[in-house]
Amino acid sequence: MEITIKKDSDITIVYPSGRVDTLTAKNFEEGIMKIISDNKKIIISFSEISYISSAGLRVILVAGKKIASMKGQLALADMSEKIYEIFKMSGFDKILKIYPTYSEARSSFDK
Amino acid sequence: MLLDVKNDVQEIDRVFARIKEFCCANNISEKKCFDILIIVDELATNIVSYAFDDDQEHTFTIMVEKESENGNEIVHLRLSDGGIPFDPLKNPGPDTEASLENRKVGGLGIFFVKQLSDHIAYARIEGKNQLDVFVSLKEEE
Repeated sequence: MEITIKKDSDITIVYPSGRVDTLTAKNFEEGIMKIISDNKKIIISFSEISYISSAGLRVILVAGKKIASMKGQLALADMSEKIYEIFKMSGFDKILKIYPTYSEARSSFDK
Repeated sequence: MLLDVKNDVQEIDRVFARIKEFCCANNISEKKCFDILIIVDELATNIVSYAFDDDQEHTFTIMVEKESENGNEIVHLRLSDGGIPFDPLKNPGPDTEASLENRKVGGLGIFFVKQLSDHIAYARIEGKNQLDVFVSLKEEE
């Protein structure tokens, strides 16, 4: 799993790519947790994610909890219809901020 | 299609490739193929992670067949493993109403399987866990 990081002023945008499954979840978790420890405002873009299993959702949940405990902000964006369905099915749309596009996620931070 | 799978997480790439081939060969939509991949992934991951506690190499099987049931096309999955008895239907689901702070991290895999399939049946037969999962190929609105 490759994770690309971009900066947009004080916001860190994380682009994981490929499949988030049992095999890649550990790598994904290590990458995300490292980013969280150095940054307060994070957007995870799913534009390059083709698949996610419960192992991947687990990582997002752990990251969300960690960021909340640090009084940081997390937004998720750019999910395909299928990926969004998985988040919704899990009830994650109620506990995490999910936006259709990066720019909507970005502007949610300005408020 | 019958796959012999070792209790090794590295097997997942091969299983994914074979399921995709199966979906392609049977004209199964990308959406349904995604559901089938998740179901197989979650169940196979559970077997690899929890079914065997002796650090030995074991093999389990994943059967995937397209069938017709009352005129409706379905995909029938059967996972069979000689591991410790485990009935996933008895697994309590996650609390999808819990807040972020209270939300527990486990239990989602089996929940996905239940949500994405139409019918599941578990049996312990001759020392093996046998789980049958049926996925309707009818596209929902």
